[in-house]
Amino acid sequence: MPSIQFGHQQVHYQLAGDAGKPVITFLNGLTQNADLWQRYAAYFVPRGYRVLAYDMLGQGRSSKPVIDIKLAAHADLLAALLEHLGIETTHLASISFGGIIALDFAIRHGERLQSLTVMSTFAELTPQLELLGTVMLRGLAEAGMPYLQSMLYPMNMSSTWIAANRARIPAMMRAGYIGNDGYALQNLMESFAEFKPLTPDLHRITTPTLIMNGEFDFFTPRECHELIRREIENSRLLIIQHAYHAFTLELPAVTMRQLEVFIAQVEGGTWQGDQSVWVAAEDPAADIQWLPCAGDWMRAIRADQAEPAKRAPARKTPSRKKTP
Amino acid sequence: MIDPQRYDQARDRIAKQGFTSEIQTKIALLLTTAKNGNLMFHSGVQWMHNLSVVQQFILSQYSRELEAVTLLSRTTQWSHDPGLVAEGSRIVAPLVMAWGQIMMPPGPMLNPQAAYRGISLGHAQLARIRVTPVIPENADPLAPFVVALQRIEQENGRMLQTQIRLLKNMGSEVPIEAREALVEADQKLVDGVFNDFLQWLAAP
Repeated sequence: MPSIQFGHQQVHYQLAGDAGKPVITFLNGLTQNADLWQRYAAYFVPRGYRVLAYDMLGQGRSSKPVIDIKLAAHADLLAALLEHLGIETTHLASISFGGIIALDFAIRHGERLQSLTVMSTFAELTPQLELLGTVMLRGLAEAGMPYLQSMLYPMNMSSTWIAANRARIPAMMRAGYIGNDGYALQNLMESFAEFKPLTPDLHRITTPTLIMNGEFDFFTPRECHELIRREIENSRLLIIQHAYHAFTLELPAVTMRQLEVFIAQVEGGTWQGDQSVWVAAEDPAADIQWLPCAGDWMRAIRADQAEPAKRAPARKTPSRKKTP
Repeated sequence: MIDPQRYDQARDRIAKQGFTSEIQTKIALLLTTAKNGNLMFHSGVQWMHNLSVVQQFILSQYSRELEAVTLLSRTTQWSHDPGLVAEGSRIVAPLVMAWGQIMMPPGPMLNPQAAYRGISLGHAQLARIRVTPVIPENADPLAPFVVALQRIEQENGRMLQTQIRLLKNMGSEVPIEAREALVEADQKLVDGVFNDFLQWLAAP
């Protein structure tokens, strides 16, 4: 795995595909590493793209600062890496923690971007996220990394995925435990102590932006993505059906297809950044991938109008006499 | 970085043979050497001038390392093979030498640079020497040695908190880059020892 020197730190990266092709750069979530995008590289390289992924500071094989790390350093590192590799512009796709870095990069280095995709992320700490972050950090500090890992699986993945992969989870946790360092994760999480909301600067992002949010993501729920959609004029919000936080891992075929559609629109000049809201098709082979979103996308349910004369639906347990 | 394959090889061997006295002895030799180094260091700095509230942290780290060494020594089924000690000593020699440099007169109590290096090396040990991934899934989770390893590693995570706080707050007169470089160098040192150790553990 090649590496570059960024200040006194070393950063390992993977670059696949032929020079001269459009580049898609992927940014990892907090506990991830560059290897997790290999499936994406295998998908996009034969379709005429170059794929760049790297272990961010504090992750995988890259340097893991112990004493201090500024959140802004991650976007600066990406700029340095692109410079080093002679990549003038890139499509940037990011998830969760990487999404914050991507937004920061788009605000400060927007001229380097052809498009921006942010998935399962946020631009500011909502009260819910702030408390969640605090409990995660406390769990890591007081109970250790296995505790945090155990907490993240149900937060990131669906019951269906957990049931199907239950036997593999101990081995996956072990691999995560070996590949991650608790102190490095802690440092990344503590860097949020100085985190200033990006929301006031989001309007400066003019690059085509796709915001992707899992339908059932309760870690970074719809409100986080709605804040981003409202502030970036040249954007669209795409909701991934039945998905939770880590849909890039759980539903890679769907995710890759949405990225492909978006990037093709940008490259083909047909992209319309109109802040509209869409729902991704569940079948990546379907002819139409983006379906119009009916109703209020901020809600999980839609209540019908109350009609006093209407009879209550039949019940199996008829003991209650009152109608709702 | 620790090569994940080394963990797999060591775990496969333990899965086949169980926690034999030879395997237990190898693990105990590594852990006790690392912890005795950190213990010796904390013993040396606990009466350092102007420690203030930090003294309590230092005493606590010292006590917890002592507990870990005691727990491990009591639960290990020690091998009688002196060859293991000879080979184990060779593998952990870089750690022993590094602690020796830190403890060299005038000692960390009177040498702030050595004191910072001690915190850094202790951090690297607690962060990088992680043996629970070699415990196979078929191991008895209630076996005293397995319980000891789990408890020690969990406590290592808590002790790491103190080391992180000390690294962040001590030595602020030294530029961050220089401190990070020192910490990274110590991690490489520990990684080298631990990679060799895992290879030794996997070897028949």
